Amino acid sequence: MFGEKAYLLIKELDRNRDSLPPYNTELLSEIHNEVKQLVTENQEDANVSEQSRLVENVSYVPTLKIRHAAIKRNIRCILAYHYNRLKCLKTIRWQFGSILPPEVKANLSQAEIDFFSKYSSSLMQYMRGIGDDGGVNLAVNLKPPKSLYIEVRCVVDYGQLELTDGSALLLKKNSRHHLPRTECEELIRQGVLEHVV
Amino acid sequence: MDEDTDDILNNIIDDDDDANIQMTPAELIQKMEEIWINEKFAPELLPHEQEIVDLVLSQISAMEDNVETLPSADFKKGFYQLEIDRIRFVVTSYLRQRLEKIETYVLHVLKEDEEREEAYLSEAEQQFALKYKEALEEHFDNATMFYPGLPFEDWKSNFVRPNMNSFVFLKAKSNVEGVVVDRGQGDDNEIVDIKAGSQMLISYKGVSDLIKKGDLRLI
Repeated sequence: MFGEKAYLLIKELDRNRDSLPPYNTELLSEIHNEVKQLVTENQEDANVSEQSRLVENVSYVPTLKIRHAAIKRNIRCILAYHYNRLKCLKTIRWQFGSILPPEVKANLSQAEIDFFSKYSSSLMQYMRGIGDDGGVNLAVNLKPPKSLYIEVRCVVDYGQLELTDGSALLLKKNSRHHLPRTECEELIRQGVLEHVV
Repeated sequence: MDEDTDDILNNIIDDDDDANIQMTPAELIQKMEEIWINEKFAPELLPHEQEIVDLVLSQISAMEDNVETLPSADFKKGFYQLEIDRIRFVVTSYLRQRLEKIETYVLHVLKEDEEREEAYLSEAEQQFALKYKEALEEHFDNATMFYPGLPFEDWKSNFVRPNMNSFVFLKAKSNVEGVVVDRGQGDDNEIVDIKAGSQMLISYKGVSDLIKKGDLRLI
């Protein structure tokens, strides 16, 4: 049946709503082949269609139309697949900053990596341009602040952390700290610290 | 906002002679909150408020400087700091909200802006939108390059548009007469007058101009 593989692609998307599975090169190239085949068949039929209509009084137009619809549908599915992956990729940018975690990077296609770096750099440029002095980092202050300090637990051995007031402290695994929220928000999102509620 | 914060803010405004809009800091923050909430609940991108954002940002940095001068033992310092954080959250949330809309409706937004005289995007946002669009197109072209000459351009004419008919809660700031409630079927449209201070639930399309003008605000 036409478009079955494209449907598989969409199903894969649906199953992994918030995560990025490996870029499915195999399935995509199968769909590409299906589209190519449909196009060739259409071209052949279009050539004979004119003759057969005159000679045998048979028209191939309905066949052509159905194939064309299948081609369009396949392409739509391909684009939807790519678009939704980009969306996921953008969320990752907001979460982890401009450097891709290696385990995510392994699942991406080259084009997606390119997109990520472009997106990231235009975002940085935009953030630098806000206001008069040096820009604003929009990736912090994601939640409305409730209190100035929060209690955090360190999940991994992180090492030295320097605070904006100049003092430094050592983040060791399983140690607890009482820190200004602005300082550790990013670390919490990266999974270094854990907010103790 | 408490009186103390007002004090701190007032000190700053006095130094600020080149501010051409006469506005007390409290009013400024209120205005900021209003445009933030409007942006949050409106389905489409609203005109940018660059001046307000810039003013609030300079306000924040001035407040931070003021707070710096307080001794760290002063227990009021914590309150000021939290207040600054809150204001900063409002600003960043507002800008993030806009970026999200720009990304989602990028083709729509850019096209609308071209057709309109007054630009809804600020200059930086426009640059961002153009770059984003470029990257997106490149990515899509890349994804469909395997067979040249196919109807791949469809998505460009078939872009995502905001749903202008979605419903919004609003509150009137002044008396507004003759708001047309579009029922979507022929001519039997209802016309309502909205009194100042009243609240209602209405389809966004009919009131979008009034919100941009500032007669109504979303809640």
